[in-house]
Amino acid sequence: MRSARFSEIEAKVRSGARLDEGDALALFEEPDLLALGALANQAREARHGDRTYFNRNVRLETTNVCYASCNFCSFAKLEEGMPGAHTMTVAQAIEALRRKIDPASPPTEVHVVNGLHKGLPFSYYEELLSAMRREFPYAHRKCFTAVEIHFFAQHYQMTVREVFERLMAAGLESLPGGGAEILHEDVRRKISDDKATGEEWLAVHREAHALGMMTNATMLYGHIETFAHRVDHLMRLRRLQDESVARGKGRFQAFIPLAFHPDGNGMQQLPGPTGVDDLRTLAVSRLTLDNFDHIKAYWVSSTPKVAQIGLSFGADDVDGTIVGETIYTAANKKAPDGLSVDDLVRLIREAGRIPVERDTLYRVVQEYPRAALEGQFKVRERKQGKHLSVVSGS
Amino acid sequence: MSRLRIAGVGFLNAAPLMQGLAEDPSVELYLGPPSEVARRLNEGECDVALVPVAAAATLGEVDVLDVGIVARGPVRSVVIAAGEPISQLERLALDASSRTSVVLARLELAARGSHAGDKGRVVARPPHEVIAGIGGTVGGVIIGDPALEIEGRFPHVLDLGQAWNERTGLPFVFAGWAAKRGTFTDAIVGRLRRAAAEGVAARDAIATAYARARGREPEAFVSYLRDSISHPIDDAAEQGLHRFLREAAEAKLLPPPDLRVVRSGQPPARQRPSLDSLLVRVADGGRLSASEGMRLYEEASLFDLGLAADQVRRRKNASDVVTYIVDRNVNYTNVCTTSCRFCAFYRPVGHEEGYVLSREVLGKKLQEVVDAGGVQILLQGGLNPGLRIEWYEDLFRWIKATYGLGLHALSPEEILHLAQLESLDVATVLRRLNAAGLDSVPGGGAEILVDRVRRMIAKAKCTSDEWLGVMRTAHHMGLRSSGTMMYGTVDTAAERIAHLVKLRDLQDETGGFTAFFCWDFQYERGTRIASGDHGTVLYLRTQAIARLMLDNVDHVGASWVTQGPHVGQVALRFGADDWGSVMFEENVVSSAGTTFRMDAARIEDLVHRAGYRVVRRNVRYEHLGQPA
Repeated sequence: MRSARFSEIEAKVRSGARLDEGDALALFEEPDLLALGALANQAREARHGDRTYFNRNVRLETTNVCYASCNFCSFAKLEEGMPGAHTMTVAQAIEALRRKIDPASPPTEVHVVNGLHKGLPFSYYEELLSAMRREFPYAHRKCFTAVEIHFFAQHYQMTVREVFERLMAAGLESLPGGGAEILHEDVRRKISDDKATGEEWLAVHREAHALGMMTNATMLYGHIETFAHRVDHLMRLRRLQDESVARGKGRFQAFIPLAFHPDGNGMQQLPGPTGVDDLRTLAVSRLTLDNFDHIKAYWVSSTPKVAQIGLSFGADDVDGTIVGETIYTAANKKAPDGLSVDDLVRLIREAGRIPVERDTLYRVVQEYPRAALEGQFKVRERKQGKHLSVVSGS
Repeated sequence: MSRLRIAGVGFLNAAPLMQGLAEDPSVELYLGPPSEVARRLNEGECDVALVPVAAAATLGEVDVLDVGIVARGPVRSVVIAAGEPISQLERLALDASSRTSVVLARLELAARGSHAGDKGRVVARPPHEVIAGIGGTVGGVIIGDPALEIEGRFPHVLDLGQAWNERTGLPFVFAGWAAKRGTFTDAIVGRLRRAAAEGVAARDAIATAYARARGREPEAFVSYLRDSISHPIDDAAEQGLHRFLREAAEAKLLPPPDLRVVRSGQPPARQRPSLDSLLVRVADGGRLSASEGMRLYEEASLFDLGLAADQVRRRKNASDVVTYIVDRNVNYTNVCTTSCRFCAFYRPVGHEEGYVLSREVLGKKLQEVVDAGGVQILLQGGLNPGLRIEWYEDLFRWIKATYGLGLHALSPEEILHLAQLESLDVATVLRRLNAAGLDSVPGGGAEILVDRVRRMIAKAKCTSDEWLGVMRTAHHMGLRSSGTMMYGTVDTAAERIAHLVKLRDLQDETGGFTAFFCWDFQYERGTRIASGDHGTVLYLRTQAIARLMLDNVDHVGASWVTQGPHVGQVALRFGADDWGSVMFEENVVSSAGTTFRMDAARIEDLVHRAGYRVVRRNVRYEHLGQPA
């Protein structure tokens, strides 16, 4: 069942050699999904053993007004005043965060991503950051994708470095990985023509790393791209990471493959990726991105059920509780709205792994004991308790 | 200190081993049929048990003390009796309570070139029915005391102890004192040996008392205990035991020999086979014992389980074809008297939300199935005392006449309910329903076929044996059925494995299960049971171990309705070769909040994108058209 080519690649991985583009492409095309998964699992366990990370995070999108017209997006509204368009003031944003935050279980991270809004002053973003720093000092501010940073530089006529310096002074601590989509020009031109190009996206991260910031990287897959485009994407990320690691300041922490959801956007005729593709993509990413510490099975995009299996196919992180996510929600995601810490701990334990709560920079907040699974639960009387959304409801 | 729990057999041949124990206040002694004794050892309800060696082999990781029931020639109490010469038998009725005798009968018939012991030609019956059914080309395997009582009644008798001894030159070990590996202590061994020595010394008296109690002359019984039965498992007997287990494994009736005969409470340590060697064996088509299954279920990696299950799947179905069926699950009534704790669907009798579907509503649903190219309906419902057997017969005839759809209908629980309601036996109910149009029996309601679990989650439901009994009857009538397992309530991993072994044992006898499906309990409000073990990783592991254990079942289905289509797709790599059905509705699972639905085009797309071809099937898993 497994191809001869696979055995060659397997030997290469075992010897610690780096996979090239041809290898990565062959892995995407490998018919034996389990052989691929097992190999990625070895790479994952060599790095992390059974440890599997999650964090307590809150999502905030303060505006969905966006001049870009990405075909895959179900979230953005082009202009103020269009139905469904909304922009929060800084005060409203703080109020919205206050509503999402449970003081008994405060988040360690606030994750802010917005539309590209041409009508706001740059000070809006500075004020937003400093207000968050003032109101929620315990929560790391991981804000604005590289596409937004690039837009700020263009729109407010600054260099990327100047944008960073001002935002960092206001409280920016790290950069999320969004906006990468597919970096290759041929695909990017068709799906998101009017925002940062692939090279511009990479340049923003290069600058962030040079300034000592940690960032993440994503890939939106399962639409019009080919496996070769995915490989190209991974290779560009790996090259930049080599540079950044060599410089020794900031770098990419995690790679997060994002499954395309076809509802309510300009590409809804496409079927979207399947569970097999989700797992394959995680596995190839783990094996190819040998200079990335973490591969994330983002449960919002793949559903908690598939994410749980993903923890055996190369992923070592499930992202976080993600209270208040609206982007995949707009594309009719099948996943529930936010998971509790208990849900995440359970999801990880059921995968046979050890749950580790981390902060944004992967410092350990709490390590949970491994669970014995079988036979530990007892019959109880009728319980109007919480729905175990992770395992039965999604 | 708690009392030593011993389970033994009430047959005369075991009486010398039991007599001293019955009077010992430090012993809690249970006496019952061999199958029940084996079950108690398997399910941890006793410390030591006198078990048939075949049951011990199926259980695995068991030590057998060198004291048991041995025949060194004719045994008299394990025979095939017939009206015609044994070589002319076509079918065999048997008392399933001793699996060892059943396996021995099948081996000896096969060694004589007879097919009467083949799968599908044997049928298990209570002992009195076995005897009553003998005649023509149907023979009967009679074991234990009934065999002694019919001596001289049938013109043709094959004594299986004698047959074995003549063929192999070795004694035959029917049963032995057994305990889970490593749990015999010197104290236990000493107690059992003392009882045996006392019993053997008193055997004439035991036989005489036994005969008198039945108003019979003692002579035949005294000579039976003296001449036909011996109790030490000596070297020659142990050789015979291993020979038997090897032949049974080669015939795929038992797992490979893993028993060891111990002579004291501190037997030398023995190395367990490696996980790799178990995986290789099972992937090559070998049989796993329950303990070996447990080891793989708990210790093998997800990928090793998946790869082995995938290999077994390809042994069973060499093509890259995945099947599915276009049918509809119709729940004709939600009124039910069992009030299972895991069910959010049922309503008690008299409840305002109770319903029985009218012909009008049903007809509309059935027409939709026909219009969608469907070939059958899955008809199941609650146990509604307002619906009599005539209602079902009329309904079935109407469905057949009007829509011509296959009827995959009424789980064993519903059949038993009807039998009870109508004061009919199960065979009569099935015969009448079959005549009215029933094509196959769905495997629902199996849950976990271990009575501890059933009592906790579904007290009013049938026992494991009743469930299996309905399936046995249905299979022997030529009806096919699916086998299922719902895990993740209060069940342990060992109980899931025990469930699979019970299905496998019945399948050895009947060959009537077409496919196996499992899923985890879907917790939601409205159910009265907390969620146990769950998760998609556990689902994949469970489906894979089922594929490995059920070496005699052709197909395993992916339960995408509960796990979601994306996990269902992945499950095709973990031993499944069937996608179940296009579901129009599934009221029981969707009451619990699981609402995955798919049409045929989406199913075919998912199967293709998992790397397989796909074709529609009927309930017998015959392809309808060419795979694409």
